[in-house]
Amino acid sequence: MEELMENLAQCRRCGICRDAVYEDKGFDGICPVWKNTAGFETSFMRGRIQIAIALIEGRLEKTEENAESLFSCTLCGNCTSICAAEFDPAQCLESVRHVLKEIPNEVRDTIAKKILENNNPYVEENKTRRDWVKEVGFDIPCTGEVLYFTGCTAGFKLPETVIATAKVLKAAGVDFAVLEDEPCCGSVMLRTGMVEEAKKNAENALEMIATSSAKTIVVTCAGCLKTLREDYIERFGFDLPEVLHVVEFLKPLIDSGKLKLKKSDEIKKITWHDPCHLGRALGVYEEPRDVLKAIPGVELVEMETNREAAMCCGSGGGLRSYDGDLAKKIAADRMQDAEEIGVDILATACPFCEHNLKDGASSMGSTIRVVDILDFLADSLE
Amino acid sequence: MDKNIITELSKIVGNEYVSTKADILLTYSVTASMASDPVIPGAIVRPANSEQVSKIIQLAAKYNVSVTPRSGGSSLQEEAIPEPDGLVVELMRLVDIKLYKELRSVTVGAGVTYGAIEKFLKEHDLFIPVYPESSLMCTVAGQVAVNGAGPGSSHFGCTGELVLGVEVVLPDGTIITTGSEANPYASGPYQRYSFGPDITGLFIGSLGSFGIITKVSMKVFKRNKFYDYNTYGFETHEQSEQFMVDIKQHDINGVFTSLYEGPVLELFMDMIGEELGVPKHNWPFSTVSMTIGSVREDLMKSDAALAKKLCEKHGGHVIGISQLPKQEWNGRFWFFVRACYVHGWHWRTLYHHQTPTNAHQSIEEIRRVMDKYGFLGHTAGFVTGHSSFNAYPHLYFDPQDPEDEQKIRDAHKELAKTLFKTGAVPFKMAEYWSDAIEGMDNYMALLELVKKTIDSQKIMSPRKLGGF
Repeated sequence: MEELMENLAQCRRCGICRDAVYEDKGFDGICPVWKNTAGFETSFMRGRIQIAIALIEGRLEKTEENAESLFSCTLCGNCTSICAAEFDPAQCLESVRHVLKEIPNEVRDTIAKKILENNNPYVEENKTRRDWVKEVGFDIPCTGEVLYFTGCTAGFKLPETVIATAKVLKAAGVDFAVLEDEPCCGSVMLRTGMVEEAKKNAENALEMIATSSAKTIVVTCAGCLKTLREDYIERFGFDLPEVLHVVEFLKPLIDSGKLKLKKSDEIKKITWHDPCHLGRALGVYEEPRDVLKAIPGVELVEMETNREAAMCCGSGGGLRSYDGDLAKKIAADRMQDAEEIGVDILATACPFCEHNLKDGASSMGSTIRVVDILDFLADSLE
Repeated sequence: MDKNIITELSKIVGNEYVSTKADILLTYSVTASMASDPVIPGAIVRPANSEQVSKIIQLAAKYNVSVTPRSGGSSLQEEAIPEPDGLVVELMRLVDIKLYKELRSVTVGAGVTYGAIEKFLKEHDLFIPVYPESSLMCTVAGQVAVNGAGPGSSHFGCTGELVLGVEVVLPDGTIITTGSEANPYASGPYQRYSFGPDITGLFIGSLGSFGIITKVSMKVFKRNKFYDYNTYGFETHEQSEQFMVDIKQHDINGVFTSLYEGPVLELFMDMIGEELGVPKHNWPFSTVSMTIGSVREDLMKSDAALAKKLCEKHGGHVIGISQLPKQEWNGRFWFFVRACYVHGWHWRTLYHHQTPTNAHQSIEEIRRVMDKYGFLGHTAGFVTGHSSFNAYPHLYFDPQDPEDEQKIRDAHKELAKTLFKTGAVPFKMAEYWSDAIEGMDNYMALLELVKKTIDSQKIMSPRKLGGF
């Protein structure tokens, strides 16, 4: 707590985290929540930090209503990218959610409960998440040196991405396994402050991953990537095999010619949306772009904000569950960025981003096709 | 706050843009001003245009509610701290920009930040050439209301000197436009000094005491294309101060001319020198860091050559480290913010103007209070126009140590008094200056008369301008 308060005190309330436009560094606005709500001070990080300090110090009553702003945040980290002070505001907010866990939040508690009970936040019967294997046309074992950890959102909500990934891995000659009863990584628990529950879940996940005998874990979800690669090791001290996003895993296979892609005369104008957990959190910016550029017929065009300064899709930090309407509004705003550069396709590499951006596109009547990079790659296989 | 006021405010701006929620009020009780007491307002309203601001002010006048205008909330001297149970009118939704290319001017709404206008004007190869050090969060209108200065001021003067006119909502709700645009048939903002007295000037640095600035019209200039960045070393205060005077006397186009004492520069460079790529150097007693900018290469080269000669004439030497001025100017959106926050301390500032030849007095005064009260701090400064110098003392404290903070508050109060007696002048009448000034009774009486005449109910930012 002492360290957290010291960190929070680093905020000098300058407000750079609201709407800074800093062309030299690529920023065109900072907080997607401020931009897409009524815009009071509580809707961006400066205000949230003041609220956090007041709640912790007891100057503000610990009620669900007073803590709303702490959860109306995607934890996208754009504020951290621009903050001139020596602390990480987004990381601090995550810690604040933990230390103020006593404040009621039904959405947060329900998700954590479901994950602990069912190994996923969506359905009671977790094993159904492997039903997609029947559709790929080849067997996928449960053990092997390369483990494809599909993630809950792709597994249950976007099975086409999982199927596409399996096809691409197979085409690249990779023997891979998928767990029989894959657990949730617990990312959303960590982001919403349910750290003890997340650790309990992680211990279970670690055991199940160990049954696969994997030496490399490949993921298609940016949230799973950050959690398994960073949080399990740094926060829980677990020993895990190497964890790679599939775009990192595939890039050398494309470069070496092991993954062959068919030629195309048709030029497709594509933009890349950087998932916050993949980009700002882990610094994976170039690999997905390199993969896209390797696909014949792709013309890659950048949105105005990209890489470290990319605006968020709106679904992170538990916001999609906490305030779905706001999450979709932010997604529509991001789709507007894509509309402004006139692309045919927006590709990303996170099922949360994909799912939310599709909703955003639909809400604004955008005809831009939102795809996971693996869906697009699978369509381009020889 | 009276529920009827809230209901009526909601009718003006819509429910979504009015709040009395406890958490929201708390966040408006403070700004970036450190070592200041928070004050919880009664309601926050976020209007979308000048007409809504007018209706809000009429309502506040009807119910006799204090009003505090606020835009970026980045001000450092309590300019936007509200009144207890008062109304905060937050102006960040006023984001219209209108360029008058032929008139070399632009009109911006009160919510337009320097970052946003820079991006807009860059597309037209133009700029507003004076930047507050908080440009990424500070609005142009806010900077006008506090009468600020910053990079660019060394040639172009303070922000106020770039203002061609303002649109203001007066304390009775009347909307007026000053400068050439007072004429409804004018093609745009092109002349501030029109129709007699400088009414525009009344609102520059007024801290919202006479009304709410909803739009400002600013001069714009063609962007400089050619720059020379250099550092000049001196062994006495007199040498460096006379150099700064001579730079102006010879019309050398130093867009940003900073003065650092050796130990202060060492302190800065220890903190961020490496990050900014400034090479290690045994800095002299006094360093002038200057960016010469021009739209013409021949002028820039000639100015740079003359600056070197003048430096030597005054007993100095050309240090030749260009990275420092380059970072100050090219990185003006970032350099100062980073330098202010990298060290971890909180600080209270006491911006003021001196003459360039009196700059050392500010340095000596801050050193004296640092010794007396036992805290860490510094001051540096920069040339701000015809013959003035902006000093920006920083008084550091540990935000988690109330005793340390109190020490800074006491030192700050004393410093304002002693600086005043060195001949220093504040940009604006922030609340604490009212205790520091003396021998200005007639001036203050006139200011009070103006306040009473314009704002007889005293609803607009009542504690500002000396809190009559």
